[in-house]
Amino acid sequence: MSSKSQALTVEIIDAQGSRFTLHEICERGECHAEFVLKMVNYGIIEPVETGADLETRYWQFDLVALMRLRKAIRLQRDLRINLPGLAMSLDLLDEVESMRREIAQLRKQLSHFEDSSDGE
Amino acid sequence: MDFKDYYAVLGVSESASPEEVKKAYRKLARKYHPDVSKEKNADEKFKDVGEAYEVLKDPEKRGEYDQLRKYGSRADGSFQPPPGWQSSSGFGGGGYTEADAQQFSDFFEQIFGGGRTGGFGGPGGGPRQSMRMRGEDVLAKLALFLEEIFSGCEKQVSFNVREVDDHGRVVARQKTLKVKIPPGMKEGQHLRLKGQGSPGAGGGQPGDLLIEVELAPHPLFTVEGQDILVTIPVAPWEAALGAKVTVPTVGSKVSMTIPRNTSSGRRLRLKGKGLPGKHPGDQIVIVQITMPEQHSPEAKKLYEQLAKAEADFNPRSKLHV
Repeated sequence: MSSKSQALTVEIIDAQGSRFTLHEICERGECHAEFVLKMVNYGIIEPVETGADLETRYWQFDLVALMRLRKAIRLQRDLRINLPGLAMSLDLLDEVESMRREIAQLRKQLSHFEDSSDGE
Repeated sequence: MDFKDYYAVLGVSESASPEEVKKAYRKLARKYHPDVSKEKNADEKFKDVGEAYEVLKDPEKRGEYDQLRKYGSRADGSFQPPPGWQSSSGFGGGGYTEADAQQFSDFFEQIFGGGRTGGFGGPGGGPRQSMRMRGEDVLAKLALFLEEIFSGCEKQVSFNVREVDDHGRVVARQKTLKVKIPPGMKEGQHLRLKGQGSPGAGGGQPGDLLIEVELAPHPLFTVEGQDILVTIPVAPWEAALGAKVTVPTVGSKVSMTIPRNTSSGRRLRLKGKGLPGKHPGDQIVIVQITMPEQHSPEAKKLYEQLAKAEADFNPRSKLHV
């Protein structure tokens, strides 16, 4: 364990600092630009605020896109999912995730109501 | 070292056909994939399944493994390969799982892992120390209390980075940093610490540390987007007549008015008392009418009067009964 800790100020994902070019996102995702283009064409990830005709070399991606790209790469590699399947899997996983969160919240709220009636 | 029963891991019998092995693997890989599964230790189980498949899919490795399974396993479950054991199949990498043997167990290493050299596993894998390569990004999860998310905090984060040692082996090194967490983070959001991941190779840039924020459950509050929810018990007469009550907020409390004639479940809004941010949320107070455990005889009499006075009210009118 390192004892020399240092305090750092972190970057937030929507701060200007966390933007990646196509080249950078490829390097960080360890994939080819063609793969990223496919991901964009299938709507799996999106560059930030681009005009429709913006050249790919001016594309900027945020951290959310990078995390999603990585997830897509892992799923494709490990489960051999084709691109339409990948796009759908990721959408469904997002939906499942938000539903899981919602269920957890609702259960929690419900438990406040149930707790107080236990004394009957 | 424990003996690993790859057949049990995949849930197939010793006599399972290659097709059955593949099918079992595919099913379990989907089930335990860390991006899909919410099961505990999914990560570990997924690795186990991959490792088992790596061996059982390959007739040569499977043959060797079967032999060892017969002779190498001891009654107490521990395992030692026979003296002079050397695998002829070895670990080639690639294949269906494109597995990275780095991740496999000591058991696997003992049997099939002879003579491997390390290196950063990128697409294609293999040692690449001579190449300039950016260090790996490292993902760390950090559970925070609502209070910490609310006002921001400073947290110590420990994580492992992978680096190449003097012998060219990839080793894990623990790193500890103190990190300032800004207020108003959301569950699942990521923070990026530039250059704090694994060091690069051959003069390449270091990777980043990515911190994923998790929210520890709070006994009173729940979070819904930017809003913070709390349930407030009120007495029936407070709900009927209206009342000024004290309501807890994160790290403090405020006084608020319960309007008269408030039903259970009604949501009241405390503007701007939710999570901070560009668009700060509200605190939502959910009213819950709570009865005392016992009523005094006087109260009972008053309720009887009330029942007479309000005889026209049917709380179940919406149910058509």
